[in-house]
Amino acid sequence: MSAPALEITGLHKSFGKLNVLNDLSLRVETGEVFGFLGPNGAGKSTTIRIILSLVKANSGSVNIFGRSIKKARHRSLIHTGAMIEKPDFYLYLSAEQNLKILASMTHTPYSRIDRVLDIVGLLHRKTDKVRKYSQGMKQRLGLAQAILNSPRLLVLDEPTNGLDPGGMKEVRDLIRRFSDDGITVFLSSHLLQEVEKVCTSMAIINEGYLIREGNVSALLSESSEQTVRIAADPIGKALALIEHLPDVIQAGIDEGHIRLIMPKEKIPSVISHLASQGVSIRSVIPQTTLEDYFLSITGNPPILQETV
Amino acid sequence: MLLLRLIRNEITKIIGKKRSLIGFAAIGVLMPVIMFAFSYHQSGFSSDFSRRSANIGGGLIMVGTPVNGYFITHLIMNFLWVHIPFLITLVAGDVIAGEGGAGTFRIYLTRPVSRLRIVISKLCASLLYTATVILFFAGLSLGMGILWHGTGDLVVMHKGILILSSHMVPWRFILSFTFAILVMWVVTALTFMFSSMVNNGIGPMIGAMAVIIVSFALTTIPLDIFEAIRPYLFTTYFDVWQKAFHDPIPWFNISKSLGILAVYTSGFIIISFWIFVRKDILT
Repeated sequence: MSAPALEITGLHKSFGKLNVLNDLSLRVETGEVFGFLGPNGAGKSTTIRIILSLVKANSGSVNIFGRSIKKARHRSLIHTGAMIEKPDFYLYLSAEQNLKILASMTHTPYSRIDRVLDIVGLLHRKTDKVRKYSQGMKQRLGLAQAILNSPRLLVLDEPTNGLDPGGMKEVRDLIRRFSDDGITVFLSSHLLQEVEKVCTSMAIINEGYLIREGNVSALLSESSEQTVRIAADPIGKALALIEHLPDVIQAGIDEGHIRLIMPKEKIPSVISHLASQGVSIRSVIPQTTLEDYFLSITGNPPILQETV
Repeated sequence: MLLLRLIRNEITKIIGKKRSLIGFAAIGVLMPVIMFAFSYHQSGFSSDFSRRSANIGGGLIMVGTPVNGYFITHLIMNFLWVHIPFLITLVAGDVIAGEGGAGTFRIYLTRPVSRLRIVISKLCASLLYTATVILFFAGLSLGMGILWHGTGDLVVMHKGILILSSHMVPWRFILSFTFAILVMWVVTALTFMFSSMVNNGIGPMIGAMAVIIVSFALTTIPLDIFEAIRPYLFTTYFDVWQKAFHDPIPWFNISKSLGILAVYTSGFIIISFWIFVRKDILT
C-alpha cells in the first residue's frame, strides 16, 4: 500500500501561552481533493504553515508521501506546491521574472513557465510587472507558481480569497483540472459551498482540535439536523409560527422560501402545525448543506461569501 | 551551483528595487558637483592649504597646487565616510525584513531549499551590493578626479604633512578601498542582523544607523569616561582605510583592526543566521 499524500500525526503548536493546535492528526490519500475546514482562528493556517515548514511545530510529525518534513524537508517539498492565503510576489518584477526565480530553486526548466502561465490564462501578460496585475490575476499567478514544479501534492490556503464570483469559479475549475491531472489537493477554505462542490474528503477543526474527518457525503448524511426550504403562504405568518416553536436552530426567509434548520425528527410536526394554523404549504424541500453541518458541529456560523 | 542561482535571484531582487539605486544616484550626483566645485575654487583652496601648512611650521613652500584627482578622492572619502553607511543600510535592511513584510516568504521559503542556503545567498548579495557601492564610489571619484584634475603626488595630513609620490598612490587607493569595503561589510552585517529580526525594512535601517551614530559619538567625543569602552566599539576601527595612506603602512595595527572588525562581522552574521533559520514565518 502506498504512503498517503499527507499524514499529520499528533501535531501540537503554541504561541506563548496560546495553544493553537492540539494533538491534530490527519490523513490525506493520494488523488483526493481534501477540504480542510474550520472557523477563523481554528488553526488552519498554522497547520498549513507547519506542513510547508514555515512554522515549526512543538511536537508531532508531518509526512508528505511518506517522507518526514522535519528529517527530509527537501525530498518532501520537492513534490509539493502551495499557495498560502493571498499570494504575494515581487511586485517590481514581471510574472515571468517571478517564476524564473522560483523555477531556479528546483531545477525546473524555464519552458515550464510558459506552460503554467498558459494554464492559468496569463501567458499574454507574462512580461507585465506584477504590480499591474489585478487581485484575480495575482491569485491565478499564485496558482501558476504552485504548480510550477509539477507537484503531486497541492496545498491551497483560501485560494479564492478576495476574488469576485467569476474569479472564484475560475479557481474552482482550475482545482478540478489539477485533480483530474492526478494531483492531490489539500484545500483550506472557509467557503463551505466551495468545499462541498470540489472536495471528496474533508476534515473540520476547531480551536486546534480535529472534530470530524471523512468522506464529504458520508459526513453530511450523519448529521442529526436537517435544513428544509418551505414554500408557504402567507410566508410572514408561517415564519412567526415557526420562530415560536422549540428546537428550531435557525429560521429565516431566503429567496421567497422559509429556510429552517432543526432536528430531522421534528420537521413533520412543524409542517402539521403550520397546516393546522391555516398556512398553505406548497412544497417542503430537504437540504443538508455543508454549511448546516459545519454550524451544527462547531457552533460557529461560517463566514459566507457570494459564490457562483 | 544552487547557491549561485540563489545569489543571482537575490541580485535580481535587489536590482529590481528602486531603493537599491538611491546609493548609486546619490554618489552619481554628488561627484560631479564636488569635482566642479574644486575646479571653481581650486586657487582659493590652494592658498588656504598653503596658509594652513605655514601654520605647521618648518618652512614648507608650496609650488603649484596639491589639488589633483587623487587628492580630491582622498578628501571626499574623509567627508563622506559617515554618510556611506546610510546608503548601505537601505538595501541590507530590506533584504530579509522586506520579504517578511511583503509576504513573499510564503512563496519563497516553501521551496525545497534549506533556509540556511537562502540566508547565505541573501548575505552574499548584500555584501556584493555593498562592495559594488564602494567600488562605484571609488571608480567615479578617481575616474572623474583624474579626468578633470589629473594625477600627481598625494598630500595627506598624518603627523604633519605627508606627501606620497604619484607612483605609489594607485595601490594605496586599492588598499584603502579594500579596507573600506571590509569596514562597510560590518555595517552590512549589523543591518542584516536587524533585518533578520523584524518584518519591516525601515526598522533595521534605523536600528543600524542608531547603533552606528551612537558608537561614532562615543568613539570621537574626547572624554576620558568613554576611553575605557572605545576598544570594544567597532566604530573605533572604522578609520582603518585611512591607514593605507600612512607611511610606513602600519600593517600590525591594520591587521588588528581588521581582525576585530571580522569578529564583529562574524558575530552579527551568526546571530542573523541563527534567528532566520529558526523563525516562524507568520506574515
